[in-house]
Amino acid sequence: MRVLNVKALSFTYEDGTPALKDVDLTIEEGEKVAVIGPNGAGKSTLLHLVAGFRTPFHGSVSVMEIVLDERTADKVRRHIGLLFQDPDDQIFMPTVEEDVGFGPVNLGLDSVEDRVSRALRSTSIEDLAKRKPHRLSHGMKKRVAIAGVLAMEPDLLLLDEPTAGLDPRSRSGLIELLRNMDKTMLIATHDLEAVAEIVDRVILLNGSIVFDGGLAELMAQDTVLEKAGLEPPQISKLFKRLRGMGYDAKVLPVTLDQAVAETVRLADREKGRSRDRKT
Amino acid sequence: MIVAHVRGHHTRPEELDEHARASWLGRLDPRAKIVGVVVFVVATALLTQTELILASLLLAVSFGAMSQVPYRHLIRMYLGALPFILVASVSVFLFSGLERGFDMWARTSSCVLALLVLASGTETFELFAGLRRLKVPKLVSALLMLTYKYILILGDELERMKTARTARGFKGGRGLLDGRGLRIISYTAGMVFVRASARADNGYEGLMARGFRMDMKQMRTSRLEAGDFAFMAWFACLSSLLVMFQLGVIQ
Repeated sequence: MRVLNVKALSFTYEDGTPALKDVDLTIEEGEKVAVIGPNGAGKSTLLHLVAGFRTPFHGSVSVMEIVLDERTADKVRRHIGLLFQDPDDQIFMPTVEEDVGFGPVNLGLDSVEDRVSRALRSTSIEDLAKRKPHRLSHGMKKRVAIAGVLAMEPDLLLLDEPTAGLDPRSRSGLIELLRNMDKTMLIATHDLEAVAEIVDRVILLNGSIVFDGGLAELMAQDTVLEKAGLEPPQISKLFKRLRGMGYDAKVLPVTLDQAVAETVRLADREKGRSRDRKT
Repeated sequence: MIVAHVRGHHTRPEELDEHARASWLGRLDPRAKIVGVVVFVVATALLTQTELILASLLLAVSFGAMSQVPYRHLIRMYLGALPFILVASVSVFLFSGLERGFDMWARTSSCVLALLVLASGTETFELFAGLRRLKVPKLVSALLMLTYKYILILGDELERMKTARTARGFKGGRGLLDGRGLRIISYTAGMVFVRASARADNGYEGLMARGFRMDMKQMRTSRLEAGDFAFMAWFACLSSLLVMFQLGVIQ
């Protein structure tokens, strides 16, 4: 099923600055898609627009086949879980469990307590249920915010810079959480290494869509990356340099696992070569 | 307690919030506290005899002392309200004499103190949720909560701006003749409002994204217990006594 369908979407800020131009995008159920791009590329605007917070716009946006406009924004938001870049924008209630239950209570959903328990369990913060959210670390607040969104059981998760401002351990924990989550999601981020771990499709946005495909494919396109002002992950850079030194790196790995596989392949190949030389 | 549910408020109010939860007053149902204190305030507002007004003030001070709310916090809050109390008292003094002016000060202080103890002995959200459960219109209680949150955001942004300003060596604005300093302070004020407004917009969108429709709903609802009824009965009795003395029903 098509969860999100965006056609010829253009949006200009109130001060006349163009933010998005002719954006076409579809996301099928279960797909995990990342929107990457430089600062000011329109990533967050796209997410907020899909959630019905930026109007008016040109073009059309449909979520679960509901066409978004000012009248249907509330209805559309019932299908969407929007995670804000700053969890403090989202966390409101005095305890974690009440905050996680905030959305379901407002929407009048059934079995609120069960939803809250499930959301807390799936984000591994059950033991924080009675804690005050504003006393938690930034990483834990992100988890609380994600749990709050998951408790609403949305069809589409919109995540705005989910790994921003996290320490390495919280970041890898969150990446693992998102990777294992069986949800349709659209993630706006700068973090290419996280993208490599979580999603299977990447959209490069710079006002309009410049690239739509796999991350490894994008890493091979130097000109596109340079134009968008993006830096490839360190691992990709390393293998690019190895290529320059004459090693036959067939793919530019973007994740650690891919890099290990490629390194083993290269090492085996070099071992074979030196054996041939000896014989 | 009037506290922060927003970022960055790891200061005294939050500690007071923890304190409120641990105290006997904090554990009472907010509806009972609101009803009890409002009855007392209304009764006090009706008093005209100096002895009865002083008795009411004494009751308010005793309520503060028994509430386990840190007295320094109460004094600080009261001092914040004092200029407004004094304006009213001095006006009455100028037009109606010393005794009336004194009565006005004592009466207003009694009401303000009781309300400060109520606000300081109840978690903010509980207080607003209590109002909502007492059938205060949902728009009013939601606006109170949002306004309160905005004030906290303003304070938060002001602290950040002040820190940023000090970190870059700003020491001006100490006198009315320091033009540059005053100009920078006015820029700061403007920026604080701009930034707080942007953050408040984000916060509001955060609420809307989670189905908020200007109604503060709670996941669980509590029931009034014996302690709550006792609290309301105690305030109702004291307030009735004061009013009966005032009306001459009891001599």
